[in-house]
Amino acid sequence: MLFPTLAFGVFFLFVYVVSWSLDRENERRKLFLLLASWFFYAQWDWRFVGLLIGSAVLNWGVAALIARSQTRDPEDADRKARGRRKWLVGLGVAANLLILGVFKYYGFFVEQVVDLIARFGWERDLPLLQIVLPVGISFFTFQGISYLVDVYRRKTPPAKSLLDVMLLMSFFPHLVAGPIVRASDLLPQFDRAPRLTRAMATHGLLLIAWGLFKKTVIASELSVRLVDPVFFDPSAYGTLDLIAAVYGYAVQIYCDFSAYSDMAIGIAALLGYSFPRNFDQPYRASSMQSFWRRWHISLSSWLRDYLYVPLGGGRKGLISSCINVMITMLLGGLWHGAAWTFVAWGALHGGAQVVERLGRAALGDGKGPPAWVGVLITFHVVCLGWILFRAETFGMAMAVLQGLGRFQPAALVTPFLTVLIVGGLAMHWLPPRAVEGMAERLKTAPSLTLGVLIGICILLVEAVRPDGVAPFIYSQF
Amino acid sequence: MNDHTDDPHDTPVGPFPTAIGPSPFPPLDDPTPADAILGDEILGSGLTVAPADPSSDWNQAADAHDLSVSHEAQRANPLAALGRFAFPPAPHLDDEGVAARDRRWTSRTIVFATLFLLIFNAVSIQNWSRQQVPGWVTSTVQQLADVWSAQIAQLGADQPRQGMRELYHAAQAQRFPGQAPSESPSQAAP
Repeated sequence: MLFPTLAFGVFFLFVYVVSWSLDRENERRKLFLLLASWFFYAQWDWRFVGLLIGSAVLNWGVAALIARSQTRDPEDADRKARGRRKWLVGLGVAANLLILGVFKYYGFFVEQVVDLIARFGWERDLPLLQIVLPVGISFFTFQGISYLVDVYRRKTPPAKSLLDVMLLMSFFPHLVAGPIVRASDLLPQFDRAPRLTRAMATHGLLLIAWGLFKKTVIASELSVRLVDPVFFDPSAYGTLDLIAAVYGYAVQIYCDFSAYSDMAIGIAALLGYSFPRNFDQPYRASSMQSFWRRWHISLSSWLRDYLYVPLGGGRKGLISSCINVMITMLLGGLWHGAAWTFVAWGALHGGAQVVERLGRAALGDGKGPPAWVGVLITFHVVCLGWILFRAETFGMAMAVLQGLGRFQPAALVTPFLTVLIVGGLAMHWLPPRAVEGMAERLKTAPSLTLGVLIGICILLVEAVRPDGVAPFIYSQF
Repeated sequence: MNDHTDDPHDTPVGPFPTAIGPSPFPPLDDPTPADAILGDEILGSGLTVAPADPSSDWNQAADAHDLSVSHEAQRANPLAALGRFAFPPAPHLDDEGVAARDRRWTSRTIVFATLFLLIFNAVSIQNWSRQQVPGWVTSTVQQLADVWSAQIAQLGADQPRQGMRELYHAAQAQRFPGQAPSESPSQAAP
């Protein structure tokens, strides 16, 4: 059940009505939202609802054991208890990674092992299992890990009930493709009956309409008419089509993923919950470091807090920080998918950040190129990364890069697609938080006015959208 | 028969009394509450009006000097505080009240948007129902959607959507000078 479908619209209206009718009974409301989230998840594959439940029980149980040990040793004075807690959090994180590894990386690693031993002349038939990838497993696993580590670090108190942990990990707006909402963000909101203000509602409705437009008009159109045909057979197209396809994919993936985040935030807002922002005009970034502060913020901050900082961060000098950035970005690339192209994508981003750090260390802060040059360079490094990200193999990525020098008339690029690409990039230069600003103005409007306005926006999207809707790119991660 | 007598106990025989006793009601400017003076004894006699004690809120520790001695304060009438207003204003909404009002406003907004789409975007339900796996529910929804779309189309409510779709397809079909026209014609389906 995808967000931009009528089936989801009906589902959401039902959830909205029932959940607000239970607003005086917070526990029952949460239970209803949990059941609704499981129903939503079961639309992909009902068997994986059990995995979701098992993962939540695991994290709740380990966090409860850690919290009990902390209660007995509030000053961290007992060395033995401290060691036990360290073991517990380590086991909990390992169990989460094991779940992720089995479902997402098992086939990939077995293939690599088979290839490796074949190079040494040993032909072995290792058991290759066709394991179906549960939707959103990378997201809810990372949420579980952050909950465990935050409880261990005493950054967040343990959840008051198993229900809270289950809802934290299963809440349907963020379940499939994020944003990765941490326990410290959501658990306090579960403690009390939520409130819905006009500002939240207007903001939510506008984000949903804006997300629908980005996903079903811009991303779908660019995907179907330009990006998919070019990346299917790059050798058939020339420079103009290939450049347009690369820029088009940059716009498509932004509009696709940010649309999901916008709709998730909007849907949660209409149910009375606040999610953190996940995008902040990423193609305006004038450096790779700035790009990662604007792109998929919930993942980049997760990687910073639970991987880069524990590795040592920048505390042990420049070289150490460069190595840590590289490791973080490589693993971040692998998180996106079990393929070497994703690892190479992570290596490119990590390498670019290392170059930036070394440059800053050599030249000093603020002595780099002008901001607009930085924006151009950063955008093109990111586009280079998107070729690796989109191509299924290195051969395909190389074919795209080689084709950039092959001059021939444009076959696919049309004035309309050009407008979509330029528009998709131009929206990065809208005033920051434009939707929030518009929501502030519209929140005083009569309900009839706003209702008709939202209806017109959705009608516009519905009138021009292609039949059917492609899955969100990030839902496969 | 003497019509005029000075004895107040002498009840006149005639149909119209000529001697009127003192009113059992307090004077209009008397601040004493009516219920305090309309006791049995007074009503029974109808003659003597004695001010009643204040209500029983006797407090041994209280000092008489704590009591208000202002004659003006005793005479204040709560209705007089209204001034030129007909009734007092309602108290301010508390958080709960504001939240309930905002929730109702949001629900109305969603209802209006849904109704708008049901009228002007009826064909979407039709398209969606045709994409579903055939079954009892989907075929029922499809039949209802067909009827609804046909009725709405008779009113011309499908025209805005159709017009926007045609404009969109015209924009899609645009080509750069010298560029070959599109091989796959734009879909004209609603």
